[in-house]
Amino acid sequence: MSGLDLKGLNDTAISTANALEVDDAVALSASGADSMIRFANNSVTVANRVEESELTVYLAKNRRRALASTSNLQSAAVKEFVRDLFSSMGGLPESDYVPLPDRPARYTPSKAGYDRRLESLEDDLPEMAGAAIAAAMAAGGTRSAGVINAGKVTVAILTSSGTQGIDSRTAITLNIRSFAEKEASGHGLSCSSSLSGFDPEEAGRRAGEGAKTMREASEPDAGKYTVLLSPTVASNLVETVAGAASAFAVDAGTSYLADSLGKKVAARSFSLTDHGVTEGGLGGRVFDDEGVRTRSNKIIEDGVLKGYLHNLTTASKWKVKDTGNAGFVSPHPWNLELEAGDSTYDEMVGEMKKGIVLTSNWYTRFKNYRTGEFSTVPRDGAYLVERGEIVKPLKGMRLGDGLERMFSSVTLLSKHREWIQWWEVDTPTLCPWMLIEGATITRAYG
Amino acid sequence: MESQRARDLAEAGVSKARGAGATYAEARVQKTWERQFVLKNGEPQPSFFAEGYGVGIRVISMGALGFAATNDLKAMSVGELAERAVRLAKASSGLLRKPVELDDSKPVRRKWAAPETRRVENADSAWLREVLLDIEGRIADGKAGVKLPGRVLYLGAELEERYYVNSDGARVEGRLPRVGFFGSLTAVEGGTTAQRFIQQGETGGLEVVKRIGIVEKVEEEARAIGKILRVATKPPTDTVDVLLSPELSGIAAHESVGHPQEADRVLGREGAQAGESYLKADGLGRRIGSSEANISDDPNLPHSNGFVPVDDEGVEGKKRFLIKHGIVNEFLQNRTTAKEFGLQSNGAARSVAFDREPIIRMSNTFVEPGDYSTEEIIKEVKHGVFFKTFTEWNIDDRRLNQRYVALEAYLVERGEVKGPVRSPVLEITTPKLWGSVKARSKHMEFESATCGKGDPQQGAPVWTGGPETLLSGIKLGSR
Repeated sequence: MSGLDLKGLNDTAISTANALEVDDAVALSASGADSMIRFANNSVTVANRVEESELTVYLAKNRRRALASTSNLQSAAVKEFVRDLFSSMGGLPESDYVPLPDRPARYTPSKAGYDRRLESLEDDLPEMAGAAIAAAMAAGGTRSAGVINAGKVTVAILTSSGTQGIDSRTAITLNIRSFAEKEASGHGLSCSSSLSGFDPEEAGRRAGEGAKTMREASEPDAGKYTVLLSPTVASNLVETVAGAASAFAVDAGTSYLADSLGKKVAARSFSLTDHGVTEGGLGGRVFDDEGVRTRSNKIIEDGVLKGYLHNLTTASKWKVKDTGNAGFVSPHPWNLELEAGDSTYDEMVGEMKKGIVLTSNWYTRFKNYRTGEFSTVPRDGAYLVERGEIVKPLKGMRLGDGLERMFSSVTLLSKHREWIQWWEVDTPTLCPWMLIEGATITRAYG
Repeated sequence: MESQRARDLAEAGVSKARGAGATYAEARVQKTWERQFVLKNGEPQPSFFAEGYGVGIRVISMGALGFAATNDLKAMSVGELAERAVRLAKASSGLLRKPVELDDSKPVRRKWAAPETRRVENADSAWLREVLLDIEGRIADGKAGVKLPGRVLYLGAELEERYYVNSDGARVEGRLPRVGFFGSLTAVEGGTTAQRFIQQGETGGLEVVKRIGIVEKVEEEARAIGKILRVATKPPTDTVDVLLSPELSGIAAHESVGHPQEADRVLGREGAQAGESYLKADGLGRRIGSSEANISDDPNLPHSNGFVPVDDEGVEGKKRFLIKHGIVNEFLQNRTTAKEFGLQSNGAARSVAFDREPIIRMSNTFVEPGDYSTEEIIKEVKHGVFFKTFTEWNIDDRRLNQRYVALEAYLVERGEVKGPVRSPVLEITTPKLWGSVKARSKHMEFESATCGKGDPQQGAPVWTGGPETLLSGIKLGSR
């Protein structure tokens, strides 16, 4: 995989496109290698290794735009691929076209977020999985299921105006659930861009402890509660805020943040930033898909919506500066960071008169993205708090709310934050614990 | 796909893996092709085209499962890939508590193709755009009786071709064309909004658009949204009958019957991600519904979105009777889980791409038809709510506690459909839902959907469907 010449691939694509006298062309070539071990019932279920490469080409000619990707990377095939893409553009309609920047940029790889030790770690994954399982058992779980995923991705860009660059990222993540009798379960995560930040034992311990403490769980009464969301739960919902901040979503009618620029959309303590590259970030790169330098963009600052995420087309439409978040079609976040507060977990629990601590969730679905009304299903560790003390474990409930109402009711955030990326959170998110007043909890009939 | 090259690669992969110490090996060469077009509020987005070609090799060695895949056969030969899969399996075997074993399903040797009249490769950008412009012309500028300031219309055509070989003798070549539509409609009227996501699709060629009437369906949906915004009232709060449309019957069958009856979930293999099941291995024979609850999964339905005549373990896809007269009758099985249950696989192993291992998936999951006509089953409702379409939905990871929020719903009084009601919520346990089934119509419809499972994620095309299903004695919530 390391032998693949991404720059050479881009040269072939762009020289072919230039010969066709296109107005704009971008070649983005990527190669990735991922190693994965999955386990269930304390036993390995499969060990995976996937190595893939892909070339994506964007062409614009006479306001017609086309995008295509291929995994056939032989030089002759790439030339034919670009010519075929160009030929297919004849029947296209004119569209919103914004030229690529005239001034060529050169990007050197960011040093953040790369650990060479993660390039090929498959032989070590079974031992790490074993350590997580053992820690879960020691903490009270009887059987565990999970996955460790370690990998790297390298992306190179070349545009018809001469912008070029290359950047790489590595990441290692563990998602573990531990189970005990009476359907009790707990959840643990460890997510890092470097091996030194990866702690499978701690994730296993949390999962095992969750399982142990959930054995006598009962269903809560439906009603309004103060809820304390773990970084895992909070980042799942924060990611939907960033999705709503995409200018494409705003235009498409699928954003609750439409018509809210400069307005208060969250509590004063709520500040959300997207970083193209950041220390410890598991995703992102120094350039976006259109060759624009990525940067840090404040989405919400002190509760006020500061801006949307843009590519060249949406920025032109909104008459603002591009934010370096292309996607050719839809702008998207790279690494999200929610500002920390100054509370400890114990202080936050101590603030709750009657509330629920939620440590994990899944299946967040929206009734209406325009209004931000959603519900999500808590799972694993969940606990009733009365007068500042955890009194019993809970199960069988649903959290339903509106994003703006909920984030406007944030009263405390923790000092402690964690990077989260797992099955329910695509965009790496650095997130604290979050205390929210007046959340609606429901339970099933029957 | 160049059949000979695919055959050579797959055969070489299996042979090399066996030579490297695999007790079982399979190789799948898969080619994908897709073309998409998107209109956002009438504005064309960049047209999109993608092609992919890769090989995935799965082996058992020292009792453990290894899977390796690449689309870069320049960097790694198929022999190296096979050896890597074996090495992965061996290296992980120290963490193995129970060896992976396969049942003795009869290996299939077959070449198959989903029928198509107009080959899917003819879907160029101009054709895709024409269909979307037809829809746009019917719903933009208030033409469907409601303002829709947010409209995203997507149409895609795709083709999956695969060649599959395993060391037990299966040799399967398949061709699966598919056409699919996705739309997001956001309506605003009188300061309130409503939103509908529409997914339609089938296997087949370009004829799919007319066969399922995509253009007309989207227009009809848009008209319904306007009605809801204008005249919907609060849903009743007392105990009611609930009439589920085919769309609601289908999603409920998929979420609370299909998923918990996937044998890998029952055995805990998906515990960290999609979760486990409220049913345990001894759950076969357990009553979870009334005698009217009959639910199946069938991978052989003609034109279906989940058409899988032979699965990705080389086993014939068979109809699965999941719930028969309220009793758990059958789980979805692959060769590994079937061995654990002492059964034969019913052909439920699917992989969505060359770089994904095959796992147990639903195909087309539905409530079986009953005897009533639609008119007759409505007459059975004395005081109730007809759930026609839904928006928000979710379910817990053991598949016991589910919620469906209706978008289009109507009050029904003394057997007559009255006016629309706003956002009734059916939040109910699985035994209560299926235990409340009183009657089913014989009118069947199916919706296309993308089912999520696996890690890395595999979004599998499926159908969900059924007849109108009548539930009695239900308490609803509202949004």
